[in-house]
Amino acid sequence: MADLNTSGAGAVSGAGSVAKSGGLLAWLNAPERRGPLLVAPALITLFVMNIFPLLWSFGLSFFNYRANRLTVPSFKGLDNYEKVLTDPVVWERFQTTGIIVGASVTLQLIFGFLLALLFAKTFPLRRILLMLVLAPMMLSFVSVAIFFKLFYDPTLGLLSWAIGLFTGEPFILLATPAGSIAAIVIADAWMWSPFVMLLVLAGLVSVPTYLYEAAEIDRASPWRRFRTITFPYIKSLLLLALLFRTIETFKLFDLSFLITGGGPGASTETVAIYAYRLGFQFFRTSQASALAYLILFVVIVLTSIYLYIVNRRNEEG
Amino acid sequence: MEHKPMTLKRTLSVLALTAAPFLVAESAWAKDITIRMAAPDWGPTRFMQEHANATYKAPSGNNVQLEIDFIPWPNFFDRVNASLNSGEQKYQMIVSDSQWLGTFIESGHFLKLNDLIAADAELQAIMNNLHPALVSGYSTYPNVSAADIEKTGYPHPDANYYGFPQFPDTYVTYYRTDLFCDEGENATFKAAYGSDLPCNPDDWESITWDDWENFGKHFARKSGEKLGSGTADGDFYGIAYQAAKPLDFSTMQINAFFWQFGGGIWDETTQPNSPALGVVNSAENVEGFQRFLDLLEYAPPIAKTGQMGIFEIQDLFMQGKIAAIVDWVALGAPVIDPATSKVHDRAAFAVPPGNMRDGKIDRTGNLGGQPFVLTTWNDDEVIKEALDVVKWWLSEETQIAAVKAGGQSGLVSVLNNPDYESWAPWNAQHKAMLEWQKDLWHVPEFFELLTQQQEEFDKAITGQISAQEALDNVAAFQDELLRDAGRIED
Repeated sequence: MADLNTSGAGAVSGAGSVAKSGGLLAWLNAPERRGPLLVAPALITLFVMNIFPLLWSFGLSFFNYRANRLTVPSFKGLDNYEKVLTDPVVWERFQTTGIIVGASVTLQLIFGFLLALLFAKTFPLRRILLMLVLAPMMLSFVSVAIFFKLFYDPTLGLLSWAIGLFTGEPFILLATPAGSIAAIVIADAWMWSPFVMLLVLAGLVSVPTYLYEAAEIDRASPWRRFRTITFPYIKSLLLLALLFRTIETFKLFDLSFLITGGGPGASTETVAIYAYRLGFQFFRTSQASALAYLILFVVIVLTSIYLYIVNRRNEEG
Repeated sequence: MEHKPMTLKRTLSVLALTAAPFLVAESAWAKDITIRMAAPDWGPTRFMQEHANATYKAPSGNNVQLEIDFIPWPNFFDRVNASLNSGEQKYQMIVSDSQWLGTFIESGHFLKLNDLIAADAELQAIMNNLHPALVSGYSTYPNVSAADIEKTGYPHPDANYYGFPQFPDTYVTYYRTDLFCDEGENATFKAAYGSDLPCNPDDWESITWDDWENFGKHFARKSGEKLGSGTADGDFYGIAYQAAKPLDFSTMQINAFFWQFGGGIWDETTQPNSPALGVVNSAENVEGFQRFLDLLEYAPPIAKTGQMGIFEIQDLFMQGKIAAIVDWVALGAPVIDPATSKVHDRAAFAVPPGNMRDGKIDRTGNLGGQPFVLTTWNDDEVIKEALDVVKWWLSEETQIAAVKAGGQSGLVSVLNNPDYESWAPWNAQHKAMLEWQKDLWHVPEFFELLTQQQEEFDKAITGQISAQEALDNVAAFQDELLRDAGRIED
């Protein structure tokens, strides 16, 4: 015991001498400070780049601040929220966003699921093809938007040329509101179906093969095998994909902004683009902040559902 | 002791030793000053940077560097706006679109230059040498009309001066000489429409929008049909001008139709007594806008998407898909460059069509290009250096070099140089078009006015609403916005 006490005292005294001899560096390097110091840069960056602007813009949403005016902002309470919620344009933009989200996520689920079924099997060149199919989701939004803009171009684009071979006329997909929405939905679905495929594929490969073997012995039909074996395994992952893609597509900005500019008129203007325009073109900074918080509220609701499903899946696991 | 005469070598050595401390002292006094300027990333500003690097030497003896922050066009306003409103005070000078003047002057970011110009004979000489349309559009806020500027010269008693021309721009017609000068095409055209195709730039002086429509009808060809001395290798179109939702791409051309048909835009120079209702949606404006819409029928199909911007029509022209376009002079250089254009050896330039009114052709157009301005947070020494940069840029020598490199000048003395028209194939037309320029609003509400208008124009271009409906919506919006801002009163 005496030895232990002695060695303990010696260690403390040793640390003190190290601190004295090493100065600030040694003090910082002490085990109890090392952890907080290592995470501090990340926390500071997060606060400066994320949390502070978030709180600042939340505060702005209660004032009448305009970024291009020198006038001192005055407190307006919930006026901006009232304006945004009673603005028919905002509801039109929510409708447009809803249509794009509904159509795009449905297509992503269908194609993602079919691709997953395909790649769950083994066949020659599967790995290479899988890499190619995954490529769109790894591209930047700007690249995808420019690619599709050129693809849809009625004079020089591939789509117009291909359809023109049959009709003899240039095909102008972006001339109508419906066509423009379809154009954005196709681009978004092309980009993100591989993501759904990845999730579903993870579920498909986790199904034990003995279950299929047993089903085969029982002469279960393919539909029954899918309904009773495959689907229960991928159900949660499909729901995850649905929610994750709904949240992301709800915030859609880049593709619509770059392919159609929100047009014709405002027919493809999503609520995210409208928030941008309110803030940076109409300079109603506070109103734009209020709208951004409404979008955030919707996203938080969707994220809560997402987290609930994740937790439930973990519990099931 | 024998006195030896000093050799040349010894004399030089003594002189060098005597002068050395002064030379060292002078370089120690010279300060390093950087004039950082925000500018759109394109030819005219790239040239300014390269030419400054090669030729600029501050008269003060300081080591002054012009350092241009090149910003892509689509983000240019957002970036400048964010920088100015964040208070970072990053730039000493800014290339500003003329329409932004009110926004940033009233926010306290752009420096009023009246006293500085009044105290500097060289700057006064420059102001007296600038084209009045450019002084009006690029420099004055609140806006003073070009006619008033021309009447009084410099200084105008009511003018507050803020900017100088960095790149003055106008739009002109780009056309294909292999088609417009083709005898077969001309014979067919004459048989159908009773007049010759304009072959030489001078022939375009009498061209109206009615003729432009005829060119559109005449040159529309399907793939494989005869075109000039060959055949069309794809669908071919007669005419195009800007008609697109982004930035100001529709407004710039539609304003020309308003003015040429006897209408107008909300007049900021007579606020608060100038109305928007009844002016913006006047019968003349509706007629002009309808004419603009009708002529899109003969443009490439991208017109129907509301995305036929200045770069799209330039590209289609360079790809050999259109016979004639109306576009900015600033976009001419790639069109005659073999590296970028299939029609580089067949492109010619002329004045744009106009509207025949009271027996005369009206070609009034919307002024393009940009001024450059000084910001308000610089100390006296930096302001002096920045003004020296202005003087260098607007010296005849630099301006001539800029024009020869494909740019343009706002100096009347350069425009009147006997060799000016030989420096670029569009120079004669640019000079002629400067006489027809008007600008749109400069008030701080500019961006809201423009954005809403662009959206309504886009709905009409894509066939969702009529010209009348679009202009009624624009007029109602402008009336409400400008009343709220106190710029319209009963």
